[in-house]
Order: sequence, then C-alpha cells, then structure tokens
Amino acid sequence: MGPRTSAPDPQPPKWAGRLLTFLGDPETAEELAGDLLEMYAYWLETGSKARANRRYIWNALKLIRPFSRRKRANPYPNPHSLTPAMIQNHFTIAFRNLFKSKGHSLINISGLAVGMSCAILIFLAVRHETSYDLHQSHIDRIYRVETENIKENQTYPGTYTGMANALRTDMPEAETVAPLLKIGGSTMAVGEHRFRESYVYADAGIFKTFDYQWISGSPADALTQPNTIVLTRRYAEKYFGTTDATGKNIRLDNKQDLTVAGVVEDYPATSSFPFDMIVSFPTLKNVNPDYDQNRWNGWNDNFQVFVLLKKGTRPEQLIGRFAGVVKKYMGKEALDHKRFKLAHLSTIHYSGNLGGRSANVSLLKTLSLIGALVLLIACFNFINLSTAQAFKRAKEVGIRKAIGSNRQSLVYQFLTEAGLITLLAAAGALILSVLALPSLAAALAIPLTASDLFTAETALFSVILLIVTTLLAGVYPALRLSGMAPIWALKNNVAVQAGQWFSMRQGLVVVQFTVSLVLISCAMLINRQLDFFRHADLGFNQSAIITVGLPDNKPEKLQALRDNVLRSPQVKDASYSFNSASAESNWMQSMEYRQRPEVVQVKTQMKMGDAHFLDTYGIRLLAGEPLKDSDTTHSKILVNEIFLGRIGITQPAQAVGERIYYGDGDQFATITGVVKNFNVNSLHQKIDPTVIQVVPDNYFQLGVKLQSERPTAASVQTALSHIEKAWTAAFPDQVFEYSFLDETLAQAYQSETRTARLIEVATFFAVLIACMGLFGLATFTAEQRTKEIGVRKVLGASVGSIIGLLSKDFLKLVVIAFLIASPIAWYAMDVWLEHFEFKIRIAWWMFPAAGILMTAIAMLTVGFQSVRAARLDPVRSLRSE
Amino acid sequence: MKRTFLGEFEELVLLTVAVLEEEAYGVSVAQELEKKTGRSVGFSTVHTTLQRLEEKGYLSSQMGGATAERGGRRKRFFAVTTFGRKALREAKQVREELWNALSPNALQLMGN
Repeated sequence: MGPRTSAPDPQPPKWAGRLLTFLGDPETAEELAGDLLEMYAYWLETGSKARANRRYIWNALKLIRPFSRRKRANPYPNPHSLTPAMIQNHFTIAFRNLFKSKGHSLINISGLAVGMSCAILIFLAVRHETSYDLHQSHIDRIYRVETENIKENQTYPGTYTGMANALRTDMPEAETVAPLLKIGGSTMAVGEHRFRESYVYADAGIFKTFDYQWISGSPADALTQPNTIVLTRRYAEKYFGTTDATGKNIRLDNKQDLTVAGVVEDYPATSSFPFDMIVSFPTLKNVNPDYDQNRWNGWNDNFQVFVLLKKGTRPEQLIGRFAGVVKKYMGKEALDHKRFKLAHLSTIHYSGNLGGRSANVSLLKTLSLIGALVLLIACFNFINLSTAQAFKRAKEVGIRKAIGSNRQSLVYQFLTEAGLITLLAAAGALILSVLALPSLAAALAIPLTASDLFTAETALFSVILLIVTTLLAGVYPALRLSGMAPIWALKNNVAVQAGQWFSMRQGLVVVQFTVSLVLISCAMLINRQLDFFRHADLGFNQSAIITVGLPDNKPEKLQALRDNVLRSPQVKDASYSFNSASAESNWMQSMEYRQRPEVVQVKTQMKMGDAHFLDTYGIRLLAGEPLKDSDTTHSKILVNEIFLGRIGITQPAQAVGERIYYGDGDQFATITGVVKNFNVNSLHQKIDPTVIQVVPDNYFQLGVKLQSERPTAASVQTALSHIEKAWTAAFPDQVFEYSFLDETLAQAYQSETRTARLIEVATFFAVLIACMGLFGLATFTAEQRTKEIGVRKVLGASVGSIIGLLSKDFLKLVVIAFLIASPIAWYAMDVWLEHFEFKIRIAWWMFPAAGILMTAIAMLTVGFQSVRAARLDPVRSLRSE
Repeated sequence: MKRTFLGEFEELVLLTVAVLEEEAYGVSVAQELEKKTGRSVGFSTVHTTLQRLEEKGYLSSQMGGATAERGGRRKRFFAVTTFGRKALREAKQVREELWNALSPNALQLMGN
C-alpha cells in the first residue's frame, strides 16, 4: 500500500505538533511530524474531523519524550557550558587563581569589601530615614495642618491654637483632630526623684489618630480629664519601676500633681512622635492659665495639629474649608497673607516635626553618591588588575579554546572568578559593617543597631549588591579575556595587544584619581569652612560663658540669685536675658522709623537683657549710653549698626535720641545707644537688625561670665558648683541644668561637622582603594618590564632614571585627573558654600595643594615598586632567557 | 548467540515491514496493519515498536529523500536485517512445528 498523498484542507491542531517539536526526541522529530501529518489525513478519511484531531493529539502526546524514551545514545553530545562538572571546574580554577596571585586577590577583596560595606551601611541609613511613620495603620488619611505665610512664601509646621476647635466645628470631613503642644523642659518629680523632661499636651484625639497599644488604662477616657498623664512603658518603669502605674501621681514643676491615666507600649525608632509623657490638654488651664487655646494672632511651631480625614476625602477638596476658617476666625483681609495646607504624615520627617529628628536629604544624597563612587573605584581596581594580567591567562584561554571551549563557557569561568572574589568581599563587608555601624550611627545621629543589619531586606539588598558588583567588575574583563584569539594567545607574543588595553586602564585610573582628588579638595575646603566657624569673630565673646535656665523670673528672686552667683571669685559678671547673644530661636518683631517722608519698616530681632548684657557677652557700645536695669518702661533701647543702616542713619552718634515705634501703634522707644554688630544668628544667616531692651518678664536664662578666658577644669568645676548652690537656693525642687555657650553655638554647625567627618572617611577609603589598585598596577608593570630594566641597567641607566621611567606613566594620569577634578571640586564647593552667609573664599591654591598631596601619595605607592624594580640585579633579571 | 524475545505485536510489525519491502515507513506500516488485522492500531505504538525493533537489531533504517507532500518532511524507511529475517523464520518455524504437532482431531475441534 502506497502512502497517501496531499493533505486535505483541514489542518491538525498546531499546538500538539509544536509541543512534539519541542519535547519530542530531536532525532526522529522530522519523520514523526511528517508521519503524523499523513496519518491525520488518513484519519480524516476514515472518521470525523473531531476524531482525527483527537487521535492526532493523543498520538503526539504519547510520543513526547518522557513517554517515548530516547532510543540511542548520541555519538556527538552537544556540549553545554553549565553542566555541574563544568561549574565545579570553574570554581576549582577560580580558587587556584585566587591563591596564585594572592596580592592582587587581597587588593581586590579588601577594596570590594570596603566598597560593599559602604553601600550596605548607606542602604541602612537611607532605609531608616525613609521609613518614618509608615507603620501607622491610618497613614493614608493622616495630615498635618501647616500655616503658610503667602507674602514670605514660607510654610510653617505649626499653627494657631484655635485651629483644633475650628476643625472640630467647621470641618465635618475630619474624623479625628489631634492637637499637640510640645513643652521643652519641665521638672517631673515622684517623691524625691526629679527629672528634667520634655513632654506634650494632647487630648484623646491622639489615640484615635495614631496607633497606641495599651498596657493599662483605656484610650476612651484617657486624657479627657485635667491633671492626667499617659506614660510609655519605658517611662513608667523609669518613674515607678513597674508598668502598673495607673492611678499613681507625678508632680509637674512642683505645682501640679498629675495622675497616671494609662501606660502605652514604647514607640518604634521610626516614629515622628517619640513622646514618653503625654499630658491632657485640660491640665494646661491649671498649669498655665494665660495660655489661650483659641488664639488666632501669632503661632508657634511647638503647637501642631494633626487630622485624620474621613475615608474618601482628599486634601485638595478642603481648600475651600480652610479659606472659610481663615475668613471666620481671622477676617476677610487675612485671606491675602495666610493659608492653611495639609501635609501628608509621610512627609513630615523631611521637615521640622515635634520628634526633633528630620532627615537630612542632601546629606543622604551626598552619602549615596560617595558610596557608589567608592564601590566603583573598587570595581575599577578589579577590572584593571584582571585585564592587566590577561597575558598570564592567555595560555590557559588559548588551550581551552583549542580543545573546544566556546567563548560563552570562558565568560562563565571568568564571571565565576569575579563572583568568588565578590562573595569573599561580601563576607568581609558584613564584618566591616558590623564593626562600623555604631560609629556611623553616631556620626549621622541615626538610631541604627546591629539588629537592623540582620534583616531580610538587608539580606536581599546584599544579594542584589553582590550580583551587581560581580557584573560591574566581572563583565568587561570576562569579555576581554574570553575574546582572545587562540592563535595569538598561544603564541608567546604578549606585547602586541597590551598597548590597546592600556588606554582603557588609563581611563579607569584617571576616573579613580579624579574621584579621589575631588573628595580631597572638598574635605580640605569643608574643614577650612569649619575652622572659620570656630574662629570667626562673632562680634561678642562666646568663651567661658555658662548659661542656666530660669524656671521663674520674679524680680526679687533674680536679684538674690545674681548677688549670690557674683560672690564666687571665679565669676566675672552675670546677666539675665531672653536668650544668649547668638541663639537658635529668636524673637522677631516689626519696628517703624517715622522721621522720613516714608515710614521705614524694619523686621527686627529683639534681644531682651539686663544692664549687664553687654559686659557679660563682650558686646561693644559704639555710641550713646548702656541700658540701666531701671529702663523697664519699654522706652529705651540699644540698636545695632545694621538697624541704623536700615533706617538710613550713617553716624552712630546721630542715632541717639531717635524714636522707634513698635509696629504700627503709638508706642515708641528712644535709642539711647548703638552697639557694634554681633552675630545674633549662626553664621549660616545674615545679621538681623537688632534691638536690645530691658524686659524682666522675658528673662529666661542666666549667663555667667567667668573671670578667666581659658578657665581650667578645676576652676570651671568650682564655679559650677557655686552656681548650682545659688540656683538651687533660689529654685528648690527644680533640676539644675547648665551648658557652655561655645558648645551650644557649635551645635549650629553639627550638620556641617557631620558632613566633614563623613567626607573625610570616604576620602580616606577612596584614596586607599585607588592606591591599592595603583600599587597592583605598578607591581604588574614592574614585573612585565623586568627584562627591559635589566637591559637598560646593563647599558648604563641609573637607578634614578629607571624610577623616573616607571613613575612617569602614572604621574601623567594624576595630572590629567587633577585637570578634570579641580573644576568639579570648585563647582561642588561653590554650591555648598551658598548655604552660608559668612564663608571662606575658595582660593586657587587649594586645588594644586590637593593635587600635590595626591601626587605625593601616588608617588609613594608607585615608588616602592619602581625602586625595587630599578635596584634589581640585572644578572638575575636577564638570566632566565 | 543473543536471543531476543519477539513479542506478538513486534512480530506483526516486523512482518509488515518485510511485506512492504521498499515502502516500509511509519505511516504505511500502521495503515497496512490496520487493513490486514482489521483492528485499530495506534500510530504512536507502531512508531515506538519500529524504534524498539531497530534498537534490538531486527530492523535497519535510513532517511529517504525530501518529499513534496507532508510539508516537505523526509520519511524514515525501514528494512528487515538478516538478524530480523532469522528471527522471523524462527518464529515461523516454531509455529509450524506446533501446527504440525497438532492432531487432525484437535484441528477439527477448533472449527474451520
């Protein structure tokens, strides 16, 4: 019977055929496909189409390999590069190479370990800073009411005290309202145990808005009654030694007993609401009867209002509501300059918040960039050292290719080597991270612990980092090495292609040195700016001044305290004031000068201090007379030179006797004297126009100037104990706290100091890794040119000329790097210095200085190898051939 | 000498290949078998059997030329090897001996 010819129109199901092609035995695939087609035609003739289809599918399925086994062993097996045996071989070879060139392996592993450790630590820091408040279960609906001053184009996190009640009555979209008032420092006492604490006032809204787990007490009635307090577990244990504290009493500032209404679980580290003591809002009436809870003129960032919006409400829908609030409580005219906005809870960690910690986004960005650069430098080392050594591997590659290895298999092998080194580096990075984490956490002031390091997320990041690093470092060398032509590789001719690879290596070295140079220049400049901060002339004397807070400013008490303090021989002078000559938080007020045709308005900083203010802080009087303690009627003031400039008076003496009005009212004060400018703010900011006046109601601190400008530790100790005795006599049952003015002022530059330390550390590592790479390259060059040096020496070259010969190439690279790095560093520093009103000039010589430093480091690195190579006995280097 | 057992279906397939001579390949063997035995024969069974017979050495195969039909795919033609012919003869001989040993009565009892 002959075969049937030509298939009729209907076609068999394609998928079955395709399945067979993929899964069937490749050897019989062709004839089977044909046979089945023919059978299909036959089945169509003898039965229905459906039956034919069924039979076709059924037969095809039965012929798939697991069911129909392969009949013969393939005489020419298809080589597959990733068989277990080959993988094992890759590892064997990788290990052998690792041990064969121990020096290079060490450079690579330690460099990559430092780079990866940087990356992991920075990941931890970034992760911590970006996870604030995300644990709140209602996070998508919680907002903070912020106040925008439209004219100043500035938004403040705080708002008017009347806002809480306004939201409750005028905004039905708000499910709950949680006003929070933070109090800086008060004395809390249980029996004789006294602590200086900061705390918040809140009402039950805080528990409905944010997540709290109750250990005792209940959220429903907590904080509704006056004189109640809620503690965290930690604080309940601190004060009462037990979490079972409900019903017990804590005394606030020696005047009001607070009953513990409940104890809640401690807050997580990533909370913007780290409040250990929450006092009920109604308590405020007893503690501070003057506090107006429905105030609509003037606000403070210590008072913030949070709302939980009802489901489905979007903040944009409430613009009208807020405009209504402004109109109702502040009047129509306020609409032009005040606006309220809702800021989502997830954003408040990036600006001022009551928790006191906010993310320094630019520092984190800088840090991430530097981390990436350090890792990159380490990867470049790997690339350079691998490709430089290519000739050592040439024979191996040639032989592998000659006996049938394909390129893919070689790529796998070189990647395995890179992977192995990265894996060892990762292990080192883990150890480094554990060691470095505490100091990084301290340097960045981020509460990170070792437990943050051992999380699933960190593990995942490390694995990804491992893969990325392997590919970054390994792909280029793998492609280069595997691409060698076997003939070339087997011929003993290595110099031919070396020239071509050299340019790539040169490029990478230049990048490494550029990064190092930029970092060195930046570190130098930042340190000069910090130095400037420390030694700048502030216009007043900040040294040897101790400041102490005042819980109470009744005049008779203050008089006694001052007399008492001055009795110590160590104390030179003492002054009561609102704040120090320079301080972080200030009192700004608008003043008017009306002697000109046009009224001049001056936004002025108010310094309230007694007659001793100028002497204590060493502020110079230029004209007129100092203030007397009796000048309390708001009628006499001192002004600074900037103020004079604003009101258009050039000679200080002319200003004496001029009238200055408080705002637009009729009250005025007379200038009795002019003081020399002094920095009322940190050096980030300009000097404000400043007015000094005597207002005893606003004395909140005592500044004590010691006799000696550079007091010894012992004399400071004596003075302190004297001040403490005097202070405790004046304010019994209060906790004495003091600080040194110069230390307080230095805190304003904390962020810059941190940046400087981190950049220094990064610079150190970047330079170290780059130099290790350079050292490796120098070793390699010296090795490669052993014969050449031998011949040169035999022909009469001096050691010096040979060192020059070997170092010249590397020096050239440093010079190129210097030319690229200087403008980059210049620009970066220029941008950074913009942050400061008072700053150093970028001098041109700083860059050559950095360049010379880098050159010296590079010369030292290269020099060691060069000298060794140059001093080698030519007999030994030439004998081998 | 290697003595391999020849199954009933294997014997039928082997015989069919011998009958078809030059034209023996998967499809022709399957169709011929269906025609001659009158029972439905699974193509996959035939294919596997052919493969197995080749593996055992009863059959040899070679690919034919390109064809115009069946999507241009080639056919694998099978031929009985000497060893295969010997096996067939042996099988036949066994049967004949058995038939011959059968008494005429018994044959009659079995019907036509």
